[in-house]
Amino acid sequence: MTVEDLYAQIDGNYAHAVQIMKKDKMISKYLLKLKNSGLIENLQAAGESLDPVAMFESAHAMKGVTANLGLDTLSDKVSALTEEFRQGSSRKYSDDEVKAMLEDICALYQKTADGISEYEQSIQ
Amino acid sequence: MIQSSELNRRHLVLVVEDQEINRDILGMILEDEYDLIYAENGAIGMEMIRENKDQLSIILLDLIMPVMDGFEVLRQLHDDTELREIPVIVLTAEKEAELKALQLGASDFITKPFDMDQVVLARVERIIELSERRQLIRSAERDPLTGLYTKGFFFEYADQIVKFHPDWKMDAIVINIERFHSVNEYSGREFGDKVLRKLADGIREFLKDTTGIASRIEADRFDIFCLHRDSSDYREVYDSLQSKLDEMSEKTNIRIRMGVKPYRDGVTPSEMFDRARVACNMVRGSNKDHMMIFDEDMRQMEMFQQRLMNDLGWAIEDKQFVVYYQPKYDIQAEPPKLKSAEALVRWKHPELGMISPGDFIPLFENNGMISQVDNYVWAVAARQIAEWRDKLGYLLPLSVNLSRAEIFDPKLEPYLEELLEENDLSTKELKLEVTESAYTDNAMELIDIIGELRKMGFEIEMDDFGSGYSSLNMLSSMPIDVLKMDMKFIRNLEEDIKNFRMIELILDIAKFLEVPVVAEGVETEEQMKLLKDAKCALVQGYYFSRPLPAEEFEALIIKEMNIDRNH
Repeated sequence: MTVEDLYAQIDGNYAHAVQIMKKDKMISKYLLKLKNSGLIENLQAAGESLDPVAMFESAHAMKGVTANLGLDTLSDKVSALTEEFRQGSSRKYSDDEVKAMLEDICALYQKTADGISEYEQSIQ
Repeated sequence: MIQSSELNRRHLVLVVEDQEINRDILGMILEDEYDLIYAENGAIGMEMIRENKDQLSIILLDLIMPVMDGFEVLRQLHDDTELREIPVIVLTAEKEAELKALQLGASDFITKPFDMDQVVLARVERIIELSERRQLIRSAERDPLTGLYTKGFFFEYADQIVKFHPDWKMDAIVINIERFHSVNEYSGREFGDKVLRKLADGIREFLKDTTGIASRIEADRFDIFCLHRDSSDYREVYDSLQSKLDEMSEKTNIRIRMGVKPYRDGVTPSEMFDRARVACNMVRGSNKDHMMIFDEDMRQMEMFQQRLMNDLGWAIEDKQFVVYYQPKYDIQAEPPKLKSAEALVRWKHPELGMISPGDFIPLFENNGMISQVDNYVWAVAARQIAEWRDKLGYLLPLSVNLSRAEIFDPKLEPYLEELLEENDLSTKELKLEVTESAYTDNAMELIDIIGELRKMGFEIEMDDFGSGYSSLNMLSSMPIDVLKMDMKFIRNLEEDIKNFRMIELILDIAKFLEVPVVAEGVETEEQMKLLKDAKCALVQGYYFSRPLPAEEFEALIIKEMNIDRNH
């Protein structure tokens, strides 16, 4: 399995990742770090209470990292949460709708994490 | 030559970003070009900024972070005069944040997700370059000692004032400190710097109440360009600046000199300051007034001096400079015996008539043109010694003047050797006179060069001794063969017994140094007798002869030869 195959499998933007990190070796190095970054766990924890500050900070952190990795679909979905909880702007979605968005993000993240694990195994 | 770019160190970049993956990606982009350090939030970032403030070239700062966000970091940097100089690029994905960050002092931003690596590198490089250029300009703009403008920037700003504010009537002021080198020499460089800073503070205080700019042009010279005021106001400005220096030390008498060129339409700042400097130089030697306003007399003097400078080259070609000779007699011999003579220059200008050496020698000494005159005089004097030797069989040593600038000229020794060789003379026949005041600056270097000349066999006469400020300690290490006592001691000899005591003192110093003394300016028999009784060796002055043109001096030699023959 190549890095490009992996990006196709997880709805990532391989071209964007290459633009920033140049080499597959580098892209895979940082992708592997994503699994242990704690980003999704922080977002899930914030989702339990829907504390707006925690929601904004954890979504914002995840948005930045996933965007830099070229995980555009995931990043776009998290970005919607960032805007929802940005200080000073009014909420557009109900709590239930936010929870549904969170589930969607977790599912996509899981798909990404699974793809990364599969890729990891393929190169061992 | 080493290019300035080659002197550059590898720049240190601080990345403040809470997300490890983002930090790593940035690190990967930058690591080939820069040294990197990392902080995971603003608080740690601030600690690292303070620790590395002198080495940091740039900070890449995330805005949304735990503990302390990027906005707070920007605020803290902005409030710190030292740290605010370090440029910051913010890492952000939001337009609103970009604006806020720029308003807080950020230099630029890098968007998230990151652009192509070349874009990131180019931004970082550009901001570092801009910041370094700004710092370079700032350090070139201000004199580090006083904080006033440096010369180049001062004149640039003065020109801009004239160009953009033609209705402002600006005066030019030049200030310097009398014998500042002595202040440095006797009270130490540190005290000298303190004096300069104090004077600069006084100037800044004066400029608080008026429109103007100021610069330390060089060493102890300060220039001020300010709105026109009356001469009585300038008297007050002078008194106020002088009183600041008086407060500094009761023991050291530090006096400033001030020259003012009042506003006149159509005169450039550079010309105005030339004239203010002329006014300031007029204070030199005058004990009465230490503040002078440039006036019509000075303008005439300036034009006259300009004419002399313009005419110099042509005057030498045209042989307008004439060398006169004044004898020096050994007064301990009976009758007094001609021993040597001093070569003195006169300028017979075809239009201006006879120009006094007092008018052109100090002028040419100040602007470095004196060597043209001196080289001519040395050549004429050397030829003259040879001519009298060959024609009359009489070998009369002549002394010539050597200015400070010539002493430091590396071509001096070969030139003198060439002159001696051309005329088949030895170093004993051409003596060199160096004025005492020449020894005040760079004394050790000058002493070394004069020591070399003595090793070649030249005799060195210290001219105008007693008019300068030689310390007794220094005198003992000065390489001299003869002391020429300043003529003011002789001039006052008969008026006051104290003056005679001074002469005795100088003769004692010479005895201690084991060198003979020449008394200059001796005009009467009484003076001559007093000096003879006091065991002064040699006398030069109108009593024996005024300076004579060569043909008249030749007659004097012949007379002297006849006296010799009859004895």
